[in-house]
Amino acid sequence: MGASARAGAIAGVVTIFLAAVGLIGNFTDLNLIGTQVTFALLMIVISPVLAGYVVTSPRVEGGERVAFTLGQAASAGVVAGALAGAIFGAFVVFVDVFGVDRIRPIFLNISPTLMDYLTQDRPAIVAAAIIVAASVAAGAAGAVYRVLPDGIRKPLGSAVWVTLLFGFLQRIVPIALDQLDIERDWLYSKVTRGLTWPGAILIALVTAGISVLKARQGETLRGAIRGRGNGERRGPLTLTPLSIVLALAGLGAVLIAPHVLGSVIAEVLGTVMVFALLGIGLNIVVGYAGLLDLGYVFFFTLGAYSLALLTGATLNTFVGSTDPAVALDLNFYVAVPVVIVIAAIAGVLIGAPVLRLRGDYLALVTLGLGEMIVVLVTSPWLGPLVGGPQGMLDITNAAIGNFGFRDPKHFYYLAFAFVVLALFVSWRLANSRIGRAWTALREDEQVADAMGVSTTSYKLLAFAMGGAIGSVGGALFAVKIGSLTPASFQVLVSIQVLGIVILGGIGSLPGVIVGSLVLVGLPGLLREFEEYRLLAYGAAVVAVMLLRPQGLIPNVRRSRELHEEDREQDKWAGDVAADEHVAQGPSPLGEGAG
Amino acid sequence: MKRRPWLTVVATVAVLALVASACSNDDGGGDTGGDTGTEPADDEFGTIEVAAGEPINIGTLLVISGADAALGQDSQNGAVLAADYLDGTFDGTDGQLLGHDIQWTHEDELCSAEGGQAGATALAADPSIVAIIGTSCSSAALGVADTVTSEKGILLFSPSNTNPALTSDEAHQPFYARTAHNDRIQGAIVAEFAFNEQGATKLATIHDESPYTEGLTAAAAVNFEAAGGEITVQEQINSEDTDFKPLLRSIAEGDPDVLYAPVFVAACSLIMKQAVDIMPDVTIMGSDGCMSSDTIKNAGDAVDGVFLSSPDISVFQEGDFYSNEFIPAYQEEFGSEPTSVFHAHSFDAANVLFDAIEQVAVENDDGSLSIPRTALRDAVFATSGYEGMTGVITCTELGDCATDVTIGIFEGPNWPVEGGAKPDTPVYSDTKSLDDVL
Amino acid sequence: MADSGSERAVDARLSGFATLPWRRIILGILGATIAFVVVVGSYRTLTLPEGERFSGDFWVDQAVNGLGQGAILALIALGYTLVYGILRMINFAHGEVFMSGAFISFFFADAYQKSGLLNSRPYVALTILLVVSILASTVVAVLLERIAYRPLRNAPRLVPLITAIGAQLFIQNAFRGFFGPQPRGYPRPQILEGGIEILGIPVAKVQLLVFVTAIVSMIALQVFVNRSRTGRSMRAVAADSEIASLMGINVDRIIVITFVVGGILAGIAGLLFSLAFTQVQFTMGFRPGIAAFTAAVLGGIGSIGGAALGGFVLGLLQAVGPPLLLTGFGVPSPFSLRDAFVFLVLILVLVFRPGGLLGSGEAEKV
Repeated sequence: MGASARAGAIAGVVTIFLAAVGLIGNFTDLNLIGTQVTFALLMIVISPVLAGYVVTSPRVEGGERVAFTLGQAASAGVVAGALAGAIFGAFVVFVDVFGVDRIRPIFLNISPTLMDYLTQDRPAIVAAAIIVAASVAAGAAGAVYRVLPDGIRKPLGSAVWVTLLFGFLQRIVPIALDQLDIERDWLYSKVTRGLTWPGAILIALVTAGISVLKARQGETLRGAIRGRGNGERRGPLTLTPLSIVLALAGLGAVLIAPHVLGSVIAEVLGTVMVFALLGIGLNIVVGYAGLLDLGYVFFFTLGAYSLALLTGATLNTFVGSTDPAVALDLNFYVAVPVVIVIAAIAGVLIGAPVLRLRGDYLALVTLGLGEMIVVLVTSPWLGPLVGGPQGMLDITNAAIGNFGFRDPKHFYYLAFAFVVLALFVSWRLANSRIGRAWTALREDEQVADAMGVSTTSYKLLAFAMGGAIGSVGGALFAVKIGSLTPASFQVLVSIQVLGIVILGGIGSLPGVIVGSLVLVGLPGLLREFEEYRLLAYGAAVVAVMLLRPQGLIPNVRRSRELHEEDREQDKWAGDVAADEHVAQGPSPLGEGAG
Repeated sequence: MKRRPWLTVVATVAVLALVASACSNDDGGGDTGGDTGTEPADDEFGTIEVAAGEPINIGTLLVISGADAALGQDSQNGAVLAADYLDGTFDGTDGQLLGHDIQWTHEDELCSAEGGQAGATALAADPSIVAIIGTSCSSAALGVADTVTSEKGILLFSPSNTNPALTSDEAHQPFYARTAHNDRIQGAIVAEFAFNEQGATKLATIHDESPYTEGLTAAAAVNFEAAGGEITVQEQINSEDTDFKPLLRSIAEGDPDVLYAPVFVAACSLIMKQAVDIMPDVTIMGSDGCMSSDTIKNAGDAVDGVFLSSPDISVFQEGDFYSNEFIPAYQEEFGSEPTSVFHAHSFDAANVLFDAIEQVAVENDDGSLSIPRTALRDAVFATSGYEGMTGVITCTELGDCATDVTIGIFEGPNWPVEGGAKPDTPVYSDTKSLDDVL
Repeated sequence: MADSGSERAVDARLSGFATLPWRRIILGILGATIAFVVVVGSYRTLTLPEGERFSGDFWVDQAVNGLGQGAILALIALGYTLVYGILRMINFAHGEVFMSGAFISFFFADAYQKSGLLNSRPYVALTILLVVSILASTVVAVLLERIAYRPLRNAPRLVPLITAIGAQLFIQNAFRGFFGPQPRGYPRPQILEGGIEILGIPVAKVQLLVFVTAIVSMIALQVFVNRSRTGRSMRAVAADSEIASLMGINVDRIIVITFVVGGILAGIAGLLFSLAFTQVQFTMGFRPGIAAFTAAVLGGIGSIGGAALGGFVLGLLQAVGPPLLLTGFGVPSPFSLRDAFVFLVLILVLVFRPGGLLGSGEAEKV
């Protein structure tokens, strides 16, 4: 029970943290379902739920995996929830007694709004008791969820998170439905802006139904797609009729998405694509060659500004627009290859002196390079060339004939085309001799060197190619926005792209797409969370590194590299659930490489 | 053998993508797919139909999160109060416009180009949006929000963009206007104060990485030189720096009389504090980016004798409408005094908009309204001699509606913010129009 | 997977690329350009015509400014170098450790100013502020180690580095969430206002305090690491943690102690910074953090003397470097390029002398 108590205590503290940071108080009117399930409520119960869930993870005793029984789980969950609730409840009482007005000058978000919501016009002690009760229920729910039989657990889980997801997308889905002329007031209330209860229940049932069907038919379906029976090892991609049909259908969906979903979503997806492109490039540097590059914004900026200068953009000054000191007026499609060449050359020139440095030093140096270009691009010194703080205007819209690409729906296709190209290039690279050299380099540089792999050259190649792709991303970004202000080019961009690669899965191309969708797409759609975006990034990166360093969609080889101990096949390969791998504590002797 | 087909597949996909976009249909009215210059002024942008009983939907695109949230939130409040005043009084309930309620759709511009584009796209996608009050930051408007809205024929009316480029010949977008002053005017008045009132012959400037401050210092420098003064140096800082001592020491070498540093609160507090020891005899000037109660809290005594320029509204308060009615209403509604300076401009913009809607809207027999987009824009641009809270509003062809701008110079600690000493009237005030300045 | 002729050709070309002295050529050109800029730039700056030239006082003042800033950087850099010595990892989040101490102590400082304690009993107030700052920084440092770094001790090197970046983002934005994005004015007691003259050079009292405190702390650290038993254990673990463990040293405990010491130094730096600049903000840790570990690497990471030297050198560089080297070439607003300049110096040092100034001069391979 010690573990339950500890989990509960941590959950309680986390909830206090969420309150102090403002994630509860500022979202009391973000209605997810009806007016009862608000985001604030979600934040209050999520920690106890997770605590209960974590506490009941199967232990290993005597070489065997021991799971909890229903009763054990329930009691563990109750304990965790109770402690979490007690801590948070105590916090509520404390704030009430001490006086919100005395705390608010320090902790901005511990506000009257927050307290009103938490106490619901009741005395604080009563509210605390209710919170304890709710946490107990939440903890028990989380714990029991874990030990439910698969047949109940999977549909239930899917139903819950899909319904909540629809609740979150309340700014997007209704507009999309409106565009398609589908009646939607029964699903999303115009008053609360969130899901209605009938609508939520419907979604939950449908999702559960799909989940049940998938479980029954899933194996056979997957086999039909992959062209093999169950249990065979995965081979390289094989084409079966079914997989081709699915791929084409998927492609079709992607292609008509902007028209179905509207320009708002198309705009967000456009940004997602640009960042995916950046991710693909960084994936080559970090994922394939194992070089930690913290200054990827260098290529992003280089690409954007090069494109602007090559296609006749103007400088914005306070007296109007002027021409840059050096400028050409090329067509976009002619300029892009030039940008690529420029970036590759820059990559080689910079890489040559720098790439033999060791990992941490390299990280620092690349960070410095990123900072340097940001400073240079804003500086008065280069002002006559790139516009300084005022930036540049009149970026080309990459027009073909009369057809411009700045409209979000059109840009989507332009970006998509480039992403596909980059994916292809990257995929081919990974499976080529160069890719194998990078793997050798990554796994043990000294041995690779001894085997005759010219490490410096391959590092340079990775750096230059990754940089070239990144610069194309920058060029596309310039086209999308139509103007360049230095504010868009910050070191933070490097960190964000790194986050995308990491979250998605280092070295994994599908991972980059998913990572971009999650880290760029979600914040783009859920704009009310803008203030918390970086906080979430930081937490996500740390969480991923601690819990699942191979990312959401792992590259199988990299995940083996990242987990030294013997583990089962990862989940993505479709076999035994790997998220319950046996975790060993750190050995004091520092056992194992790394 | 398996590898080859992929190349063709990929190439096909890429081409398909480009072709698909070419064959696609657009929604919305009148979009030719390009974004070149001006469209002929016929109502190809269509009309907004407001059914009977439905509200008139007006968007706001301001910076309502992050470090500058006070600026955007303040403008948003000003606009919302204008809806309250539709019935002639500030009573907490909105009035109606032509029998319809006003509904506000608020978006966040994030004070960046991407944010401006995203927010403008979101609003422009909604066919019921009549017009947009925004943006707060010039970088969110210039080349992004103004273009997106002009392509859809939606009026973008800014209460606080001051960047001169927005209303310049080359960059002005047809559906963009603003009630905020053009920074060329503010820079000119600052230069005038420094040269004439302070008797300065040497001016140094500091700006940061934002276009706003760079534009202000450029305008001030150009006018100062034209008056016969000398610019010793024009320095640039990063707004997140903390140690300005080397820089200030370097500026001190040039022996300026006045240092104009119109940067934002964090940097300007530090500069004021650090300048006390390094250049005690130099007069420090700033602008409204620095005018905040936070500056007074952070810089303490260092604000004494620091001159800040800011729009001077007091000049037009003949009937004391501003202090006796507007401010109390603001406090009542939003629980605090105004946190920035542009609420008044926002109030004026909203009112000009309401008047224009009234003018051009066609009231149909079934109680619905038809508001033609281009006509609405034309009506706003035709505004002339309108007496707003910020002054007389007459819009030029290029969208500058604050033609006669009064800028006041306030001496610290007598700044018109919370924590400032009273009387908080300007020590100098001048009215200029765009034609008077460089 | 048979080798095709084209693949072999590519490989041959790449190996050929490596054997050509490209690297030497590029390095040579780089070195020559740097030398040119330094020598010619300085010369031209110092020989500008009378009206445009900087005065002697100017250079002295800049040097003093730089050393003052450098002292704070040195204190923070020590935290980086200690952790690196033990864990071979750059603790990217150390800048936020520094910020935490400063920010938390602000609330106390603010209260003391309002109640008058700050000026009626300044020594008492300052001591309490120091303790608070140290405590806050240390707590954050220990939490960091426990939650984010300890589970990853055996992971490939990439992983804790990335975690550190995530932790940095998280802590910075957590403070933003708690306390808001606005900068806060940190009060300075009267006794620290004003300046005195040392050897004819005007020095602000605060600057003097910063300098003295930093030196004292560094000496104390040096004594602690070299003379005390814990210090000896720390050095043992830094040298070889496996053997240290075999010798009976509790490596986990030593690691925690290292973070604690780093936290203490950061807390001291936080208070000094706050008193010197009288302003705190949630972003205040990022740039000094990067500057400090640039300093640590510059001086030679892993060595205490290196961190201290690197801090002071970097401080001087960023105050004196831009005007000295760039004014001569007519570069407008040289201080706007300050950060770029500092990083350029770092890159150059690492390229030509990878071990840093006090390092052995050879690259530590892989």
